[in-house]
Amino acid sequence: MGFSLYSLIEAALLCVNAVAILNEQRFLSKINVNDQNYPGAGAYGNDHQNAGGAKQQLLTLIRSVRTVMRVPLIAFNIITILFLILFG
Amino acid sequence: MHSAAQASNGYEGDITMPHTRSASSQNAFFSPQSAFYSPSSQQTIPTNQVASSMELLSNNPFFNVGIKAVGDSMKDITGKTVNMLPNEMKKSLSSIKDYFAVDQIYVMKKLSLLLFPFRPRNWSVGYSADGPVPPRVDTNAPDYYIPLMSVMTYVLVAGLVLGTQNRFTPEQLGMHASSALVWNIIEIGLLCLTFYILNIQSKLRTLDLIAYCGYKYVGMIAALSSYLATHSLFVYRCSLLYVSISLSYFLIKCLRLKILPDTSGSHTYNANGNARRVYLLLAIVLIQPLFIWYLTRHLIVT
Repeated sequence: MGFSLYSLIEAALLCVNAVAILNEQRFLSKINVNDQNYPGAGAYGNDHQNAGGAKQQLLTLIRSVRTVMRVPLIAFNIITILFLILFG
Repeated sequence: MHSAAQASNGYEGDITMPHTRSASSQNAFFSPQSAFYSPSSQQTIPTNQVASSMELLSNNPFFNVGIKAVGDSMKDITGKTVNMLPNEMKKSLSSIKDYFAVDQIYVMKKLSLLLFPFRPRNWSVGYSADGPVPPRVDTNAPDYYIPLMSVMTYVLVAGLVLGTQNRFTPEQLGMHASSALVWNIIEIGLLCLTFYILNIQSKLRTLDLIAYCGYKYVGMIAALSSYLATHSLFVYRCSLLYVSISLSYFLIKCLRLKILPDTSGSHTYNANGNARRVYLLLAIVLIQPLFIWYLTRHLIVT
């Protein structure tokens, strides 16, 4: 119950770290094999919402988070480690 | 000293102005004094006490000059940073102003709707050329005033309940405020993430979703005050049940038109997309009573 803003920031940092350390080879490529063949087929017409689009969206999200947050995550982690060392 | 005396008169004049303007529903959004004083006359009593303490402070001429300087520089800085933002954010910043454009009749109607939504009525929101209509004009439009005020009232009522149980310390107020904020952020973040992952494009904007997720605090206050008045667990549970049912009904009626597909057939939607929308709507509606229960249960002592 006693949540503070700091614990939210900590939890968010841990989650983004978890997304960033997913292994491409073992994990993401297995999911990609099932889905890469799909979006080329029926992309025409007014089919705005893909049936299997949830996985596609999730993969896009994961890939974009990894690309964007790789460098800033290093900085955030260093700052958080320093804070925890200095202030407990 | 003459200009400082003039500045002090000008400051007191700004303080006493809201009392005369309290009945009008038109006020400028961004000037430092009027942003603090809301237009409803129900709050002239607290502003009386605030005004008298401010008058004691404003008798000091250095304070007036300092306040004027700080106010001008703040306006300057915020003007510059707002102009630096990209265009989309500027539009959403100015539309936040629309969400605060409420008046007394709207607030009364909305509160009675939240506590008793079961009468048959028309739930559709009117649209102007540019975007949604401000709440002053249309009763069905979401606003930010009620959620904001009810969050603050929830923190105060929680402090009151803790006080009657001799568990109150001033840190509890800050803890309740920050945990309400954190749970709100988590809830809205998860909902936006779910909207994105399920690839649902709806007319519901993020700002509207924030408003709709803030309406549960009114129910929390009702349940907590019923517990406060009677100190009975049975009354608390009954009011919790009633508030959950009425809030769910209210949210279903409001969000149904925005999330579920248009039945007039102007858009083509996938069959799977319809099921997802229904599930998402159900999820939104069921999360609210869960939060109401979770955020009030630690205050109840059998």
